[in-house]
Amino acid sequence: MELLDKLTILADAAKYDVACTSCGVSRSAEKGKLGATTNAGICHSFSADGRCITLLKVLMSNVCSYDCAYCVNRARNDVPRATLSPRELAELTMGFYRRNYIEGLFLSSGVLRTPDYTTERMCESIRLLREHYGFRGYIHAKAIPGTSDELLVRLGTLVDRMSVNIEFPSAHSLKMLAPEKNRASVLGSLRFIHDGIKENYQDKRLSTTKRTRFVPAGQSTQMIVGASPESDYHILNLSASLYRSFELRRVFFSAYVPVNENPLSPLVREAPLLREHRLYQADWLMRFYQFDVSEIIDEDHPFLDLLIDPKCNWALNHIDHFPIEINKASYDMLLRVPGIGVRGVQRVWAARRERRLDFDDLRRLNISLKRARHFITCNGRFSEGIVFDPSSIYRTLANDAHRRHCKGVTAGQLSLFEDYETGPQKAQEQTAPLVTAAMTVAACSRHMSGSCGAPGSLAENMGISTTVLAKNNTSATVTGFWEEEATRRRENTHAALIA
Amino acid sequence: MQPLLLDADIFYLYDGSLEGLLSAVFLAFDSKENPSDILVEEGLQYSLLGSYQSVSTDLDHAERVMTGIVSTLGARCYEEVRSVYLSDEDHKGGVILRFLQYAFKHGRHSLLHLAHPAVNEFKEMLLRVTNEAHFIMMFARFAELEGGVFFARVEPRANVVPIVMEHFAERFNIQPFVLFDRAHQLAGVFDTSSWWLVDTRRLDVTFPDNSRSEEGFQSLWQTFFDTIAIEERHNPVCQRNFMPKRFWGTLCEQIPPELRKRRPSTETPSQAAKRAARLTGTVAAHGEIAGQGHDAQAGPCALEAGSCP
Ligand code: SF4
Repeated sequence: MELLDKLTILADAAKYDVACTSCGVSRSAEKGKLGATTNAGICHSFSADGRCITLLKVLMSNVCSYDCAYCVNRARNDVPRATLSPRELAELTMGFYRRNYIEGLFLSSGVLRTPDYTTERMCESIRLLREHYGFRGYIHAKAIPGTSDELLVRLGTLVDRMSVNIEFPSAHSLKMLAPEKNRASVLGSLRFIHDGIKENYQDKRLSTTKRTRFVPAGQSTQMIVGASPESDYHILNLSASLYRSFELRRVFFSAYVPVNENPLSPLVREAPLLREHRLYQADWLMRFYQFDVSEIIDEDHPFLDLLIDPKCNWALNHIDHFPIEINKASYDMLLRVPGIGVRGVQRVWAARRERRLDFDDLRRLNISLKRARHFITCNGRFSEGIVFDPSSIYRTLANDAHRRHCKGVTAGQLSLFEDYETGPQKAQEQTAPLVTAAMTVAACSRHMSGSCGAPGSLAENMGISTTVLAKNNTSATVTGFWEEEATRRRENTHAALIA
Repeated sequence: MQPLLLDADIFYLYDGSLEGLLSAVFLAFDSKENPSDILVEEGLQYSLLGSYQSVSTDLDHAERVMTGIVSTLGARCYEEVRSVYLSDEDHKGGVILRFLQYAFKHGRHSLLHLAHPAVNEFKEMLLRVTNEAHFIMMFARFAELEGGVFFARVEPRANVVPIVMEHFAERFNIQPFVLFDRAHQLAGVFDTSSWWLVDTRRLDVTFPDNSRSEEGFQSLWQTFFDTIAIEERHNPVCQRNFMPKRFWGTLCEQIPPELRKRRPSTETPSQAAKRAARLTGTVAAHGEIAGQGHDAQAGPCALEAGSCP
């Protein structure tokens, strides 16, 4: 098989992996070797779906002995299979890197025979690239759960970042949809890598350069959203605890794209992109805005509002903290203003030492006032035409979002720029959701009618009885809550759309 | 920028070099004059109302301004001034002058006075230049020429080759390369040990053809680029937001499929699984296609460098 054909098959098989980032480690160049890494990472291209391309994202092989319900490569699917030899992989990476196409390699693989056998071959490929070809660019390797500790150590010393996919928010869903994988071994690998990083970092006998040699860019994980019934509440609490206990750099969410026709794999017609986007926003709040997960979501409202972002949502629920005076508010409080990002806060903080700021000054500082103006005053005054009333603010914001979707502009990307300040360098940490008017409405109505993520229909599809789910889902009255929530949302949506 | 030119408006003119600009800044401080702008003399549209004063470049003066900036405002600030100087915008001289006037008066802290117009317009212009530099680090595409030199052609909106050369020279230290800015007629050349800049305005350089393996890598990259996109998430608006169309001319992955030299011959697994029906439509595009349009866009872009006036 020609290399071109192999690449087609293996890139296609790898495309659903989200984590395409090249950040987290800064390694200077070395004379005579190709490559260096920068801490912020660099995107090199953007594919037609608007996602950043920074690494050569391929599977080493799409031959797989496992049979995960959600995956194109599962054993039972009749698809063309290919395997890259270590040499081919190295030449491809080097060739692309030399032309400034990529920052490095993101290597994953189907399970060839056993996890250990696969990992050994991955190690071999990466070792060839690093040692024989002298490649110093970024390498991200996906570890297969169930790999032996010894091999994890070997892989970890060759790469910059490692990830083990947790795949689904609950052990139960994992068991249903990926029968050969189990939650305990995923968590075991995550813990092992975490301990390894810590130990390596604390080992004072190693020189500072060597000290960070084991997985220097840290580890990340990924879970699929929308293929299993767990709520956003469940997902966000899980990711908060993953950040806490394993110090993960990132938890990635991937809106489930239905690839297989199969009674076991849930029938989701469209990828829940808006939901994924809201989850990322919530994730951002936890990582950069000092929000605790309990402030973002609670058991009584276990799904994020699709019409307004979680920061706005928090502000509206805590309207007594607002309006805040831009010239007096504390740093932490400024961070909580919807529409003002971390860098915006830094600019305000610096600029207001010199003078009292008014709205023109804020505009000059490139603060987007679209959302912020509802929540702030400058020298005691609101921006013109602002009515400070939570329900009218909600209507305006939701309406804005709706209009943006109508224009076909991606709400997701825009608000990430305005709100969460992902410059081009940081953008690669973020996937790009696609939202059109139809999508939003579909997402909302689907949300409301309970066909996506709602226990009833999904449970049937997956052959799980609703009682099991109810137990699993922390709330005993899932269905009851769901109806209430749906009514609330329907009212809100109508209010917003009519206004 | 100035809607009305008043009689009193003084304009300083310089030769376009950094030294020239700094000499003009020196003169403004020295003479206690307050010129409205510092402009490049060449190709200037004079207006009857202003008074123009041509400042001759004085290395000594320029150096005094430089050391002044470094000692009172810091080395980083000098670098920022240098970066703003690389901007393509006409009024950069005035922006730098007003910033320095303000900053020398208020000291190091003034760099934080972001809401002050003088600081603000300086920082904004700086941001536009550094963004452009970042775009070049992202989107420069090198092609291997016969003989093993790598060549990239870029067309940035600011003269940023000098600030990105170090970045490329470090990571690509095993390969000689040329980074050619066609818009500013400036080439950064790296010979595997050091790099320097070449003014290509008066040069008539020819580059060899692409190496034999080049085509292969380009089509591998194009294939990868097409394959990695998830159809269900198709989002061209978002793509353009991150990768503005003005860069597409030099990106080999953005060459439309029908103009490419080679086409992938197998369908992808998910295509196989889902797109059987649509395949019939694309078969036509698999036929023999000549790549003339391709050459003009990004392939042997080196050839174009040869015909520079
Ligand atoms: S292990 Fe499961 S998810 Fe991974 S390639 Fe095999 S079938 Fe797909």
